[in-house]
Amino acid sequence: MGNIKQKDLILYSGLIILGLAAPYLFSAFKVQLTYLCVLIVLAMTWNLQGGEMGYNTFGNILFYGLGMYLTASVQVGMFFPLAEWTESGGEKTFVHTTAQYFQGIGVGLLVAAIVPAIVAGAIGYAILGLRGHYFAICTLGLGIAAGEIAGGIEIIGAGQGFTTPPFPAEIVDNEARGKFFYFLSFALLIGTFVFVKYIYGSRFRLILNAIRDNEDKAEAMGIQTMKYKITGWMCSAFFCGLAGGIMGGLIGYIDSTDVAFDGREMGVFMVLMAILGGKGTLWGPVIGATLFHFFKEGLWTFILGWQYVALGVLIVVIVVYFPEGLMGWLREKYPERFGEVIDEKDRKAQVELK
Amino acid sequence: MNKLVKLFITSISAITLALVSFSSSFAKVEGDYIVLGSAISLTGKYSSNGVHTQNGYNMAVDRINKMGGVEVQGKKYKFEIIYYDDESNPKRAAQLAERLIKQDGVHYMLGPYSSGLTKAIAPVTEKYKIPMVEANGASRSLFTKGYKYLFAVLSPANQYLEVAIDLAVEKNGGKGVRIAQAFEQDAFSQDVRLGILDAAKRTGSEIIIDDKLPKELNDMAATLAKVKATKPDVLVVSGHTKGALTAIRQISEMKVDVPMLAMTHCDAAKLSKQHGKKSEYALCASQWHKNLSYKDKFFGSGKKYDKDFKKEFGYAPPYQSAESSAALLVFKDAFERANSFDRDAVRDALKTTEMQTFYGNIKFGPGGQNTAKPMILFQVRCKGDDCENKVVAPTKWASDKFYHPIPKWSERS
Repeated sequence: MGNIKQKDLILYSGLIILGLAAPYLFSAFKVQLTYLCVLIVLAMTWNLQGGEMGYNTFGNILFYGLGMYLTASVQVGMFFPLAEWTESGGEKTFVHTTAQYFQGIGVGLLVAAIVPAIVAGAIGYAILGLRGHYFAICTLGLGIAAGEIAGGIEIIGAGQGFTTPPFPAEIVDNEARGKFFYFLSFALLIGTFVFVKYIYGSRFRLILNAIRDNEDKAEAMGIQTMKYKITGWMCSAFFCGLAGGIMGGLIGYIDSTDVAFDGREMGVFMVLMAILGGKGTLWGPVIGATLFHFFKEGLWTFILGWQYVALGVLIVVIVVYFPEGLMGWLREKYPERFGEVIDEKDRKAQVELK
Repeated sequence: MNKLVKLFITSISAITLALVSFSSSFAKVEGDYIVLGSAISLTGKYSSNGVHTQNGYNMAVDRINKMGGVEVQGKKYKFEIIYYDDESNPKRAAQLAERLIKQDGVHYMLGPYSSGLTKAIAPVTEKYKIPMVEANGASRSLFTKGYKYLFAVLSPANQYLEVAIDLAVEKNGGKGVRIAQAFEQDAFSQDVRLGILDAAKRTGSEIIIDDKLPKELNDMAATLAKVKATKPDVLVVSGHTKGALTAIRQISEMKVDVPMLAMTHCDAAKLSKQHGKKSEYALCASQWHKNLSYKDKFFGSGKKYDKDFKKEFGYAPPYQSAESSAALLVFKDAFERANSFDRDAVRDALKTTEMQTFYGNIKFGPGGQNTAKPMILFQVRCKGDDCENKVVAPTKWASDKFYHPIPKWSERS
């Protein structure tokens, strides 16, 4: 991290300042901005598996949902009996004081980061031996199963859903809640970015790439691939859990299959965003998520009822025109910008040979 | 490739433009219009009921606007609604509520379809102190959270099928019955289930099957196989429109004989039309029926509403549409009594609502639920191939006698 170039420094500080100023500049869009931060985090962490390691996982939604339920449960459970809170039609109303609310969410987020990471380790140990489609299908099942199971557990509200604690009423400022969640998610975004960037400069990434390019060879080289695969997944789970915890608090209502273990939307979106931007790159998921979010928020309301058709068209366009994502496409067009030196003669000769 | 770049740049600028135009926010009252906001399920699993809700809202807006609109401080205003599609997803609904309030500047909300979505929106409207009149969130837990800006024109979900159990017990000579039940995993259906549990306890009935059905449900054969084996006295099924359709389809396919079948959402699913004779004798909970004798000056009676609605939208109005129309009447009444656009004044006026609409009497309890209107039960009855919903309870409006028990499939033609 020590040798950040000056050009990068300007870029990063510019982005951080923009990020910090955003909720004041676009006050009405705070919730959407929070979503954006969370979406970027999800896309970046998915990219660690899908892009760098070559393991297309649909299971990251499991950690996201787990984080959501854990944060809310801890936040309530620390101060009140959880079963009575979630009991459908519960006649009692509990109110968190300001201090309780923030303590609760703090501890909750901590738990929401650690537990999914441990779960990822355990599940990873069991299923990361699967490769290719088998792994993808298996993880697809994880999210669905988790949704159905959560929908049957009474203490977290079962099919009734779980209303997360409302923002403390003592804080009169209407904007406070929006700002709180925005800055929380922005901090998470920075944390995730720094971490992923760190990985990009490390041997760890090379190992992940080796696993993607040829796992057997990597193993033959003496790399304990299983260990690294599990570690990678645990890192993703850590950040996914945090993202879920923040989203739960922001949305205010957790439903087992539609909000928490929302494989159909969030689970697919994170893959789509990473591919749109270009998987296997640092900035790809960031750009992909941003574009996707803009597309979604900007256009969907104009095509009421047809938004999923439009999404389908978008997917087709991405796959047909940008199979390597935007970053891949840019790299192909302007290879010099990516530090690649190309011998024009040689390239032409190769083209002609074909 | 150059073309592609151009296309790309154009689309990006289009998005930016769209965003910019969004930030120019509407006012709560714009010129002659009172702007209401609503997130509605136009796609996803609740899409058919979402459309029923939207049609109900639109019908009432047209009618009220045509008949002079809303009079506040001597000036006539018209209603206008901004809709967004929440995709039947609570996460999206909460986000859209925020958007309606913050970006579109909406100060008064109409509810979405379903309890789950209402549960997701209520914390948002509550936070911004936006009065919301909702017509499709019946879950009891909505009314125990101490919400101050939420008003529901419908009866709470746990009341839906309690009456059916009472009826079954009555037919059984006052002795408890054996109940088989299957409910979708969502806030509304789970609340209906709680109502049944209460009723079972009260009447000394026994629940022998208590199944959960997945969302997006298309199959409940496992439950029905159990029903065939255990022969309960009553089968209760609730899972919105899809639940009702699936139940009738599979009960008739598997020839499941059960003396009494109680459901929700029969009219929204247009059961009597879609399944005809197969759906005969099904007992359905409903918030409203056209034969009820309530009246108001906008829609006249239930029968007239039914006729007008059919003319406009081409199908008979399910209760989801009727209650949605009623929500607008409540808003109009509250605006006129408040004689102001101040949100708290409107809220206070809503709180003291006491009126009759074609849909029923409306008076809000302390939690915001409508306490002035009973639930009704109807039974699908057929003459030849022509099937209709006949009210069988409560006795005040009953047009037909409750037919019990349901004949065996082998005896049905």
